[in-house]
Amino acid sequence: MSTNARNLALAAAGALALLTLPYWAKDLYWLHLATLIGAYWILIAGLNLVTGYAGQLSIGHVGLLAVGAYGFAILAGTHGLDPFLSLLLCGALGGIAGLLLGLPSLRLPGFYFAMATMAFALIVTELSLALGGLTGGGTGLSVPGFPSPMNSPWGYYWLVLAVAAGVTWLTWNVARFMWGRALIAIRDSEVAAASAGIGLFRLKLTVFVFSGITAGIGGGLFASLQSYITPDTFVFEIGLFFFVCIIIGGRGTILGPFIGTVILTALPEIVAPLAKLGAFFYGLMLLIVVLLIPEGVGRLVEVLIRRFRGEPHRSHEVKPDLPRLASVLARKEDAA
Amino acid sequence: MSALEAVSVTKRFGGLVALSDVSLDLRPGEVHGLIGPNGSGKTTLLNMLSGYYRPDGGRTSLDGEELDALSVQRRARLGIARTFQKPRLLPALSVLDNAMLGCWRDTRAGFVETAFALPRARREEKAFRDRAIELVHGVGLGHALTRSAGLLEHAEQRFLEIARALAARPRFLLLDEPAGGLTGAEIEHLGRIVGTVRESGIGVLLVEHHTDFVFRICGRVTTLDRGRLIKHGTPDEVRRDPEVVRVYLGA
Repeated sequence: MSTNARNLALAAAGALALLTLPYWAKDLYWLHLATLIGAYWILIAGLNLVTGYAGQLSIGHVGLLAVGAYGFAILAGTHGLDPFLSLLLCGALGGIAGLLLGLPSLRLPGFYFAMATMAFALIVTELSLALGGLTGGGTGLSVPGFPSPMNSPWGYYWLVLAVAAGVTWLTWNVARFMWGRALIAIRDSEVAAASAGIGLFRLKLTVFVFSGITAGIGGGLFASLQSYITPDTFVFEIGLFFFVCIIIGGRGTILGPFIGTVILTALPEIVAPLAKLGAFFYGLMLLIVVLLIPEGVGRLVEVLIRRFRGEPHRSHEVKPDLPRLASVLARKEDAA
Repeated sequence: MSALEAVSVTKRFGGLVALSDVSLDLRPGEVHGLIGPNGSGKTTLLNMLSGYYRPDGGRTSLDGEELDALSVQRRARLGIARTFQKPRLLPALSVLDNAMLGCWRDTRAGFVETAFALPRARREEKAFRDRAIELVHGVGLGHALTRSAGLLEHAEQRFLEIARALAARPRFLLLDEPAGGLTGAEIEHLGRIVGTVRESGIGVLLVEHHTDFVFRICGRVTTLDRGRLIKHGTPDEVRRDPEVVRVYLGA
């Protein structure tokens, strides 16, 4: 229980720090960076259910980000729709794109699924070039902002923070209830999952569509933050970057990929020499994590504690408690 | 009649006939043994009943309703649970979470209800947690409730698989060599667990090599050899059958 209280205190402190960030951030650039992390995280939080929980390796979510970003630029910019309505529509658009991509590809074995998502990302980039009338082609589109008070850097930060917090709460609920166990079963043993009655394709498709919705919303917020988007904004490496954030953070946690997103977005910006390394830096980080802490940085503390204390190995004889077994088997339906 | 049945089923893998015209019926509240030499088709028959294979001839049915077209998942939802020769647990999750996975059969909360933590999702979580805790203690793993399943010893893994299968509140439980790798004392415990499960009205199919164990706890025994059924009857009838002695038990 004391660890629970400690975790609660840590979470409260973290939330307070995030909420007050505009007051202690050094300058506007930091605030911009924090907002960018937030927009990325909205996508990655959804992708985390697909990749970190259900174990489906999507490397093409940048395509869904682009769908949301262009959707927002066209709806709120070209057509002058209300930005909040546009953002909701971006979520719907991302969800539909996720459904169309997931339907044919989620039955494929892992490697081929990854290839399908990559192909999707490449197609979206090509389409954004080809459909010049809609997307501005290579010149791109300027993207409108949100109305006051969300038009200031701190106002926009709080908007993104609120959406990110909401999405995180949704994924946390999915992860901690039965769906979380079912998704991990799909990841770690499809045979066990099927024998428990879990419809593999239905669950994979559901979380994939959800990740499309969050990617669409994240894309809209991302586009408005950038205020100008071109096809070059959505290079394939960004899709790999999302994927690497989750792997570095660790599969089957929410905090881990969040830490991964923060580190991978902020470090190259703060430590200038790292920025020059570009994708090399991500590759190096990935290599270090996979070789040294395959559980991910989110589990680093846990792993270190285990390594130093050692796993207490007790050999217990398995002693069934038959009256207790009989009584639970005799229960009539106790489900909700 | 209420039963899980295989009626004259045949299964071929390429040129190999794994099962040839084999019938078996599993009734509620009985322990039915399925024995035979390696490669005689025991696991093939179990896989066919649980839906991993379709028969090439004959049919499988539940309460007289044909099952052949139904997926593994649909059969699980109809109340057919199983364990595996090599335990298939989720090593990243705790013992309790592994047992709770079996409750998926009763999970009604959909994705949206779950994501918004609506009352039904919370209520189910609480009920399933309670059910799984009782089952984990029931099979003797109370000491390991929060341990990750990847750290369990072999016998513990086998017993956890049984708890997970029972968490689905099955009508029929198919056990694939549950005594494999267990010590004598552990086999005793297994026998008592199976007995308790039987008394609750669940029909248990026991695929097993430990023939002493099978003859002791089963009401009926079916013997296979090279895909054919060679003897079906009470333990005493099977044990004395010359053909069974010749191909399997030895003199």
